[in-house]
Amino acid sequence: MTIHELITVILLVVGCFFFLAGTLGVLRFPDLFSRLHALTKADNLGLGFIAAGMAVYIASPWAALKIFFIWLFTLLASSTSCYLIARFQKEQEQTKNGKEGE
Amino acid sequence: METYQIYNLTSAVLFVIGIGGVFAARHFIRKIIATIIMGGGVFLSFVSFAERDALTFADPVPHALVITGIVVAVASAAFALALARRIYQLTGEESFTNDK
Amino acid sequence: MSVLIDGLLAILAIYLALQSLLAPRLIKSVFLFFAFGLALALAWVRLGAVDVAITEAAIASGFLGVLFLDALRDFSPAFPAKQKNPEAAHNVLVKNNTKSLLLSRIPLGLGLGLFLLIALEAVWKTPEGGGLTAAAEAFLPESGVEHPVTAVLLNFRAYDTWLEIGVILMGLLAIFAVGGIKVYRKPNMAAQDPMLRQVIMFFTPVLFLFGAFLLYFGKTGPGGAFQAAVLWGAIGILLHLGGKSIIEEIPRWLRQLILTVGILFFLVLGFLFVAGGNALFEYPRAYAGLLILIIETLAAISIAAALTAIFANLNQMKEDPNETESIN
Repeated sequence: MTIHELITVILLVVGCFFFLAGTLGVLRFPDLFSRLHALTKADNLGLGFIAAGMAVYIASPWAALKIFFIWLFTLLASSTSCYLIARFQKEQEQTKNGKEGE
Repeated sequence: METYQIYNLTSAVLFVIGIGGVFAARHFIRKIIATIIMGGGVFLSFVSFAERDALTFADPVPHALVITGIVVAVASAAFALALARRIYQLTGEESFTNDK
Repeated sequence: MSVLIDGLLAILAIYLALQSLLAPRLIKSVFLFFAFGLALALAWVRLGAVDVAITEAAIASGFLGVLFLDALRDFSPAFPAKQKNPEAAHNVLVKNNTKSLLLSRIPLGLGLGLFLLIALEAVWKTPEGGGLTAAAEAFLPESGVEHPVTAVLLNFRAYDTWLEIGVILMGLLAIFAVGGIKVYRKPNMAAQDPMLRQVIMFFTPVLFLFGAFLLYFGKTGPGGAFQAAVLWGAIGILLHLGGKSIIEEIPRWLRQLILTVGILFFLVLGFLFVAGGNALFEYPRAYAGLLILIIETLAAISIAAALTAIFANLNQMKEDPNETESIN
């Protein structure tokens, strides 16, 4: 096993650990906001580690750049969708509270 | 056991799950999902045979047929969805059986 | 090792398919359907069909999933927050189902079991035919492209692809003919929400560029008209959700032209070849690569417009807030 492969394996294992933690959070956390928190933070970090591991494994600067962009776009998309879901939930709660107050 | 054989058997199981869903599912959306799963099984068997017949590359003809098939399946599912929503809007029913 | 991965993936796909049909709540089955599509896409990567994987992930999982999610607004008038005790409601639902369907369930189960055995035996014992790989490989240099799947799609079996564009158009027309789907209040989000607007402004050129890349890359590798079309269609859907429906804002003649340009160009080209004494889609060999690129571009524009129009027609929004009061 070369040093390259060793680094790859370590990065992949760390990435999988964060994915596992994020999944556990989604399954076990009580409400929507903390679940979103677990999902977006831990999973994006895990994806980052896995992307880094893949980039080390392929060891070509162009492929590494492409993988980096994939990670960046996923970050953007997931943070936006997290924001939209949270805002939708907040609006729902506000209208519900407003109706109860009337 | 080779790779294509695993997916071959999976395709048969998926097709049967889909056909069971078409009969047993009640809600329109579940019925449409079941047809898509049926289609997925058929496509999977096509592509796994393409893998079996690979020389320097996998057989491209089933791949092309499957790409065509996926797009056609999606177009028909979109039409089915429009019909389901129209039925719901007109009658308030969300399944073909009306015993609630 | 590879058997282990494939076996796990197969079990995952079967489990997700079962669960998406059996899940108690509709929103759960739609999300499981998303996951099922992605598992199937992974299976296709394992089988070496990267083109199919991109198409599956983009159209069958992405586009169709979005349509399902949109349809859920109709079928769940009360959002799940209103249900006080979901467990009890679930039990009632299951009890009713087993009661009324018990009689039909037993023969259905038996029939499905028998069918499963027959299907397994059929796929297990399919004779080796050899396939068409050798033929495709032999004629690949004459097709004008280097990627075998693109060669089959747009040269050897161009007839299929041409009719497929027609099928999407037919689907759109049928959806227009159905008409009258519930209209919701327009959220007008892009104007209010700086973050959403920025994201749309960022993703529109990126998606366009990536679609164009996939379109051009289809010549040498996985990619091509359909994959590009879905990405371009995603631009339309994104803009529609942001409150700017491009397909409805452009003039009628331009919309009709965009929707039909792919199939029309294909048709005219085919008849020109027939008039010249060739077969229907027998491209002259010197121009085959260029012609395929033009056809793919126009087809992608048409399919993208058709997908956008399908979504825009199923998800109509109005400024008028009167109708929403009855829904909430």
